[in-house]
Amino acid sequence: MDELILKLKQQIIEVLNLEEMTPDDIDDDAPLFGDGLSLDSIDALELIVILDKYYGIKLASPAEGKVVFASVNAMAEYIREHRTR
Amino acid sequence: MNDFISITGQGIVCAIGNDAAQVLSSLRDGRSGIGPMKYLRSKHADIPVGEVQLSNDLMKEMLGVDRDAVYSRTSLMGAIAVRQALEQAGIADTAGKRVVLISGTTVGNMDITISNDNECGASTRDIAALCSLEDAKTCTISTACSSALNAIILGCEMLRSDEADIVIAGGSEALSRFHFNGFNSLMILDHEQCRPFDSSRNGLNLGEGAAFVVLQKNVPDALAYVSGYGNRCDAFHQTASSENGEGAFLAMSGALTMAGLSPSDIQYVNAHGTGTQSNDISESRALKRVFDSNMPQVSSTKPFTGHTTSASGSIETVICILAMREGFTPANLGWKTPDADGITPTMGQEKAILHNVMCNSFGFGGNDSSLILSDRPVMLQDVEPVFGTKVAAIQEIGPDDDMSELKAFIPAMELRRMGPLMRASILTALLSLKKAGLERPDAIVTATADGMLEVSRQFQKDIIENDEELLKPTLFMQSTHNTIGSAIAIRTLCHGYNITYSHGDESEYWAMEDATRMIRSGKASSVLVTVFDEAGPSAFQAKSTVIVRK
Repeated sequence: MDELILKLKQQIIEVLNLEEMTPDDIDDDAPLFGDGLSLDSIDALELIVILDKYYGIKLASPAEGKVVFASVNAMAEYIREHRTR
Repeated sequence: MNDFISITGQGIVCAIGNDAAQVLSSLRDGRSGIGPMKYLRSKHADIPVGEVQLSNDLMKEMLGVDRDAVYSRTSLMGAIAVRQALEQAGIADTAGKRVVLISGTTVGNMDITISNDNECGASTRDIAALCSLEDAKTCTISTACSSALNAIILGCEMLRSDEADIVIAGGSEALSRFHFNGFNSLMILDHEQCRPFDSSRNGLNLGEGAAFVVLQKNVPDALAYVSGYGNRCDAFHQTASSENGEGAFLAMSGALTMAGLSPSDIQYVNAHGTGTQSNDISESRALKRVFDSNMPQVSSTKPFTGHTTSASGSIETVICILAMREGFTPANLGWKTPDADGITPTMGQEKAILHNVMCNSFGFGGNDSSLILSDRPVMLQDVEPVFGTKVAAIQEIGPDDDMSELKAFIPAMELRRMGPLMRASILTALLSLKKAGLERPDAIVTATADGMLEVSRQFQKDIIENDEELLKPTLFMQSTHNTIGSAIAIRTLCHGYNITYSHGDESEYWAMEDATRMIRSGKASSVLVTVFDEAGPSAFQAKSTVIVRK
């Protein structure tokens, strides 16, 4: 597994308290919201904190998250392009 | 015998005025109270707020108390509003009368407590002491942003069931670094003046203030009369409103039914209208479901006052009384562009004849309430004790008890966020309902002295250690006292009456009184009462009692 993807999955599991999950349980391309992991609006806000805290990326509004958080792959791609740390 | 409920006095202090006359002139002149922060200390000073333009020192002077006396901003504002209300009602001597002071708050005395221990009842008792109401019974309701409206509703119920002669009910809430940062972590604070119901709306402005009304039975020539109310639960999500506004729809419909009014009898609705995406579309849909082709004038006055959270229900009740008495409708300031599917609010009408007005007040967890005020007395059915009560089941859980059973009731995706206190509380609720053979109760009443102590302490610690950055919205979402009551409602899909008492050691007493009143009067045939508190991560206790009709 790609290093950034692995790290990201570990951060998602920790921050969202996905207690019984391992990085292998999260499909890189599956939607994080809706049919995939079934995360909700509060989780989206927690993901925004992850971007800020670990990668120095600030999203201005939760609406931007719709594209950025489409899947773990989409999130990793966004981080590679925009990270400041 | 049938009675009517009179509002004989009102008091208000908020961002657009320190009394009713000032508030009225700001409303008529379209003068907003939203601006840069002056008293609140936060590094996010670029976010505007609706502050009361009085320092704590000045408020102490107005109340004639010593400058060194320790009172919270919530208590000081509350006392100013209560004194105004009592003065207008002409109540100086309460000897021999059963007086009850009911306040709605969530912040309470947070600004003067050393840690984040948040016993809301302390601020209510302080308000009573500052208003020479030492002999009054006091009570505190904490259902987040609908607290004050629920306080007024409880006051009416106590008068109708002849438990009180004079009720002073409302709410008070000061801006705090805690909830300001909490709302900021939810990314719902607009950096400009809020625009409820506008397609460009981008969140709310936090405000502060207090308002109280004096409620009495059968007093003619009063300021206004309470003709109906409804308290229901959206039972959908901890912070988001349901798509079709079910809780709001049920609360408004319930109020209309109680008042014996049809939608076309309402001339004005003061909407909850916070300016968030979620609330405004959900409330719009609920309003359309209730009023259909008879849509009255609707406005949110939060662009004037800011969202005064736990106090908003009583502040907007006073605004409704002013509108009805003076014959005008307040503008939904700043509204320009219609929202697809949204209602079109009024930009204010100088001369309006208002006989019946509705005030909506919704809180986190879907604690939705609606109140109808009328310009003439409306007879209400007595709340008579016609039924007996009986305890159908009791379940207690403490730190030494096994909670693995919870997994059978709740999916892992929902369990993951719940701390020990919430797990224990929900498990007692579900097990007691099972014992009583009920899928869901008709009503849910919860009671807690200190509320969600652990998550609140963690959030407060993060505010200090992270310097108001990178805060976890999950912690804030769970910090309100009504978190557990609404979580149980979501789990059991209970859209019925839902309330949380937070009045120190007396919380459970008030909860049991309420449950008993509901059963006896026939309003509910089963009520779940859940009492919970914690003193640390491994020191908690939860108890659920199912009370049913005998």
